[in-house]
Amino acid sequence: MTSIFKQISSFATVIFGVLLLTFLLIHLVPGDPVEVMLGESASTADRDMLRADLGLNQPVVTQFSRYLIKLAHGDFGQSIHTKTPIIEMLKTRYPATVKLALLSLLIGISIGIPLGIFAALKANHWQDIVVTLVSVRLSAMPAFWLGPMLMLIFAVWLGWLPVSGMESNTSIILPALTLGFGLSAILTRMTRTSLLEVLNDDYIRTARAKGLTEKTVILRHALRAALLPIITIVGLQMGSLLAGTVITETIFSWDGIGRLLVESIEKRDYPVTQACVLVVALSYVLVNFVTDVLYRMADPRVKFAG
Amino acid sequence: MRGLTLLKPTLLAIVLVICFSVANGSATSSEPTSHGREIIFAIGQMPLNLDPRYATDAASERVNRLIYQSLVDFDQHSRPTPSLASWLVLSNREFQFTLKAKRSAFNTPTKIRSTFLNARDVKATYDSFTNLADSPHAAEFSNIQEIVVLNDDTLIFKLKKDDANFPTKLLIGILPAALVEKNHDFSHHPVGSGSIQLLDWGNKLTLQRVKDGQRISLLEVKDPTVRVLKLLHGEVDLLQGELPSELIQHLESKSEITLKNSVGANFSYLGLNMQDPILQSLKVRQAIAHAIDRETIIAKVMTRQTRLASAILPPEHYTNHKSALPAYDYNPKRARRLLLEAGVQLPLKLVYKTSTDAQRVRLATIMQAQMAEAGIDLEIRSLDWGTFFADVKQGNFQLYGLTWVGIKTPEIYRKVFGSDSFPPHGFNRGRFSDASLDQLLVVENWPAVTKRIHAQLPYIPLWYEGQFAAMRNNIIHFTPKTDGNWDDLAKITYRKVH
Repeated sequence: MTSIFKQISSFATVIFGVLLLTFLLIHLVPGDPVEVMLGESASTADRDMLRADLGLNQPVVTQFSRYLIKLAHGDFGQSIHTKTPIIEMLKTRYPATVKLALLSLLIGISIGIPLGIFAALKANHWQDIVVTLVSVRLSAMPAFWLGPMLMLIFAVWLGWLPVSGMESNTSIILPALTLGFGLSAILTRMTRTSLLEVLNDDYIRTARAKGLTEKTVILRHALRAALLPIITIVGLQMGSLLAGTVITETIFSWDGIGRLLVESIEKRDYPVTQACVLVVALSYVLVNFVTDVLYRMADPRVKFAG
Repeated sequence: MRGLTLLKPTLLAIVLVICFSVANGSATSSEPTSHGREIIFAIGQMPLNLDPRYATDAASERVNRLIYQSLVDFDQHSRPTPSLASWLVLSNREFQFTLKAKRSAFNTPTKIRSTFLNARDVKATYDSFTNLADSPHAAEFSNIQEIVVLNDDTLIFKLKKDDANFPTKLLIGILPAALVEKNHDFSHHPVGSGSIQLLDWGNKLTLQRVKDGQRISLLEVKDPTVRVLKLLHGEVDLLQGELPSELIQHLESKSEITLKNSVGANFSYLGLNMQDPILQSLKVRQAIAHAIDRETIIAKVMTRQTRLASAILPPEHYTNHKSALPAYDYNPKRARRLLLEAGVQLPLKLVYKTSTDAQRVRLATIMQAQMAEAGIDLEIRSLDWGTFFADVKQGNFQLYGLTWVGIKTPEIYRKVFGSDSFPPHGFNRGRFSDASLDQLLVVENWPAVTKRIHAQLPYIPLWYEGQFAAMRNNIIHFTPKTDGNWDDLAKITYRKVH
């Protein structure tokens, strides 16, 4: 239990560090929120007045503590450009990213792990070579190419799916496939390698000698032992997916957190940028925590750090 | 066989995904509504703010022109013309506006009583700028001393300082006074008296035409290739501008698509830093102007009807009517000679800053190759928009490329080239200072101003990019406008094709 608390406190430290760094970095990059709001032709007096209104003339430490107090009250502020409360933006954007991430992960796991197992069982046969070739090709396809190709095939030629957007229930399929295919390629290769390492171990031979079915040997014994590196990869990929996949979200007009973050950086919408970075950092921390828990479930010998 | 058994989940997932998609069918064109079929317009950037007191981006201003009405508008030669009101110049500090007798009511939500626009609404709108500390337009109206309402139809604007061009600034959409007093959120729930009203703003922005209930939705699709695919697939009905030439050519070959072109008035240029020791030399600036083959660029990679530019305001502008200036011709030999005469050691190294926009980078690359022939070694630095624009405003550049959009009044010359307009007091980002030009600006001799700027080259003029719109064949009554506005959404029609 103590180790879990230690883990949580280390996560809190990470979050605080992220908040501090983001806050400081945003004050260092070129550009001024007051100028973004008032434009170039505002008078110095108007600028000074707005700066005072926003508290930007206060020392950085004061500004940061005020920011933390607001955050503690769930107040992320409002967008400089759209005047929309940021919490409202996050409420619509983040679930869209989570939805896309989960479906992509589902597709990646559903394709990647069985194909990896299949390749391992057929190691060095033609089937293994085909699977390896396909997975290498898939992992080499960038989203900005694969996305439009899938659009062309499934939307324009076959007419099965919408090209992009979020208007219909089926809109999520193409972006999820774009991300899921890439993920499945990585998982196929990782599962194959990992499984091959354990398939010749003594306990697998023992399991087979005991007369267990091949399915039980593979799924209950071999795969469980091979699962740790797979969980690591899935955790890392899930973290990236939850941070928003800017290219895929942009190509498919998917209003997720990644697109919001990049747009806010381009427009110098500082409060939105800060909020997005915080959400992304929290996602990574959460995924790391879940990954650690899954480690323990897969292998009870593993203990929480600390 | 055992491998095949293990592949079952994979096959199942693929089959499920395909079944799900086929069962749901394709989400193509929108469903008909009680007011006819919704028209979907794909745009590159969604409006940011529909409060006309805050809006600065092109998309917001284009939508606001439809939602609200302003006192003044411009004719085809960019002369100010009455829109909601005509005016009398009582002096250079007093302007009397009389609202037209026939005017619309505000398109208010059903729970709010609708009222006809009157002089008190105009006063409330412009008075509200004094209370808005964070409005980018507040500075424009800081010269207003008082607004006096004489009656429902008439009001007088009194200014602190003389400004003969004051009416040209009254382009802000008029808001209902009652809602201004209540600090209504016009940014997201606009209430105007224009031909169109906002219905809903979610993933798309849905507008409704007041006279016939026709629905028009604006859908943000950032990627140009995807915009084209959606148009071909029938998911959207219309798109305008912001496509590379190869995609336009592709659309031209499609029988189900209609393309319409018009000349444009948005001015693209190269900005020069006049505080740079090399660029202070007029001969160097002339050499750069002669080193760019604009005609070839226009022919090969620009939209149809793109025109060579020689000044910020286009030839049809009233200030240019009889004095259009010739563009600098492409002459790399002359450019090289001018550089040598300026005492520059060749190759002349220059840094050109631009955004990461693919078309901008492409144009920069072409100019880089052309300039090499003239002995100019152009280094391209493409930066994210925020960093690029911050650098431009701070004068942190040698050369940069940008476009002035929607410029109507010759006042722009003062703001861009006047010695007293260095940032933060104006847009003279290249820090150009010329006493002769300043004198001409004071007397507002616009033809002479244009000529002086053309000779001194603080900007290298490039072109006015042509406007175009691509639409499915059943869309009629939409034509692209010179400044790219969307005014035709007020009359666009979906025609049933049998």
